[in-house]
Amino acid sequence: MPAIEIEGLTKHYGDVVAVDGLDLTVEEGEIFGFLGPNGAGKSTTIDILLDFVRPTDGSATVLGHDAQRESMAVRRQIGVLPDAYHVYDRLTGRQHMEFVVDSKDVDADIEAILERVRVLEAADRKAGGYSKGMRQRLVLAMALVGDPDLLILDEPSTGLDPNGARQMREIIQEENDRGTTVFFSSHIMEQVEAICDRVAIINRGRLVAVDSIEGLRDATETTTTLTVTVSGADDDVVATVRAREDVASASLTGDQFVVTLGPEGSKFGVLQTIDAAGATVEDFSLDESSLEDLFVEYTTPGQEVEPGELDSRAGEPGTGGPETGPATAGSSGGDR
Amino acid sequence: MSWTAVAKKDFRDAVQSRALWSLLAVFVVLSVVLSYSYTEFPALVGGTEQATVGGLVFFTSGIVSLFVSLTAIVVCYKAIAGERELGSIKLMLALPHSRRDVFVGKLVGRTGVLSLALAVGLVVGLGLGSVLLGSFEPVPLALFLVATLLFAVVYVTIVVSISATTGSTSRATTGALGFFLLFELLWDVVPLGVVYVANGFSLPAQLPDWIFPLMQLPPSSAYVLVLNALLPDLADAAPGGAGGMGFDAFYARPELGFVVLGFWLVVSLAVGSYRFVNADL
Repeated sequence: MPAIEIEGLTKHYGDVVAVDGLDLTVEEGEIFGFLGPNGAGKSTTIDILLDFVRPTDGSATVLGHDAQRESMAVRRQIGVLPDAYHVYDRLTGRQHMEFVVDSKDVDADIEAILERVRVLEAADRKAGGYSKGMRQRLVLAMALVGDPDLLILDEPSTGLDPNGARQMREIIQEENDRGTTVFFSSHIMEQVEAICDRVAIINRGRLVAVDSIEGLRDATETTTTLTVTVSGADDDVVATVRAREDVASASLTGDQFVVTLGPEGSKFGVLQTIDAAGATVEDFSLDESSLEDLFVEYTTPGQEVEPGELDSRAGEPGTGGPETGPATAGSSGGDR
Repeated sequence: MSWTAVAKKDFRDAVQSRALWSLLAVFVVLSVVLSYSYTEFPALVGGTEQATVGGLVFFTSGIVSLFVSLTAIVVCYKAIAGERELGSIKLMLALPHSRRDVFVGKLVGRTGVLSLALAVGLVVGLGLGSVLLGSFEPVPLALFLVATLLFAVVYVTIVVSISATTGSTSRATTGALGFFLLFELLWDVVPLGVVYVANGFSLPAQLPDWIFPLMQLPPSSAYVLVLNALLPDLADAAPGGAGGMGFDAFYARPELGFVVLGFWLVVSLAVGSYRFVNADL
């Protein structure tokens, strides 16, 4: 039984499409990273899993229970660190934990959990006086009460300093070692890279890639971007270069000719082709892409990437690639 | 039964609100001053020369209904809208609570807070009054307390329900104050307006009987009727009591007060929970 199964999930807010036919499966026992720029639809998807928001179409199943009809059963078995939450300013950390223990009707060692997330010394202070990082730890502690089977963490590193973010990763890893499935969202690749078994990248409400970190890395390490400064190039030159088998994409903006090479691509061959086609190569630079670049590439609108290339990377047929053309409302085009 | 956890949390939270305790302080002072002035100068505030427990109860009830309605608004207008606006409701609904549990838990928690404040104020005020009158009558005082708590429950339900219809505290404030303005301050003219329109844009010499139940629609009017129904002896004797209706109709009875309070309870519960259960947070 998959921990999370999302099929054709769609959510419209008026004219705005927040989630657009999303399909996703998270297996039991894995740490799954849900990656996308701000406004890509990550939080909306998570809100649907928690029944905060009702989908326009499609379905979501969590631990075998329908996320809408059997939400209570879902929420009994999961721990959640929501996005854009607010703590109860007038209640202490301990009272927050007591509320969770009462609500889940479980026995839990409140002090031990607070110790683990390092807010025990502040347990009897009002949470309104906590720093952003302390609040984040407190809410993580609340999520850990009752040994949930699945942790859903929406941007868990928000507000944490690098040390806090590392501790957050350690706790996620420990929980996973105890058999807990972890599903967490982020807009920062490196946080996901460090601990995830698999990653899904979404943009504008649609899945653009889902693969293991190794799979993504294999796809990126062999990708090279060649930026050539040319004079006298025209559409024919672009078409000639694009026709080369080792070229994944090619686009010309002013005198900047950007060519993405496939795994066996020959940089020298491309330069020769440009020259032979009648344009003059004035200068060129090389960029070996990182995972971060891959993320940017997937989630930045207006990139000319051949759809066939993306499909093979996405590992799931029919999920499509980032669309070219103007961004639609409700989807920002990446924050980097 | 998960609403108990919500109610407990909510009570702990709301009971620490400064606005509530400042209001309570004002109410205690007011009820002491009123008890004192009524027992010392009964002729000033009522027609009878002799101060009685009944007179005290009806005299206090006017202030109590104002206190309950205003305090209910202050304590409850943010009950659900505030949590939605801030996002703390995500912490609550990430836990195994149905939205109906949250709604009920909020009602119970806020009723508890308001009842606590009311009980403190009334015990101080009526206690002082009883001492000054030199007579202690537990039964009417207890009935008065019961009626007042019922009224408080209804008002809390109305304001929490208004709060449940929206995710914006400014809209919740507008809704709650609008309700107060319409039903507690301006309502006297509304039935008259209805009669005026129904009569072809002129006022008849004799007002029709059906205007009476319409007049009693405000919860505070229904509260006074309920007091009349529960304490008929005192009501007849008291200067502030509504007394007889002056005509015969099946609805011309003080028991109508229970029906009106029940009406508000059912309507606000239905609207508030429907809107909240179906909302995208």
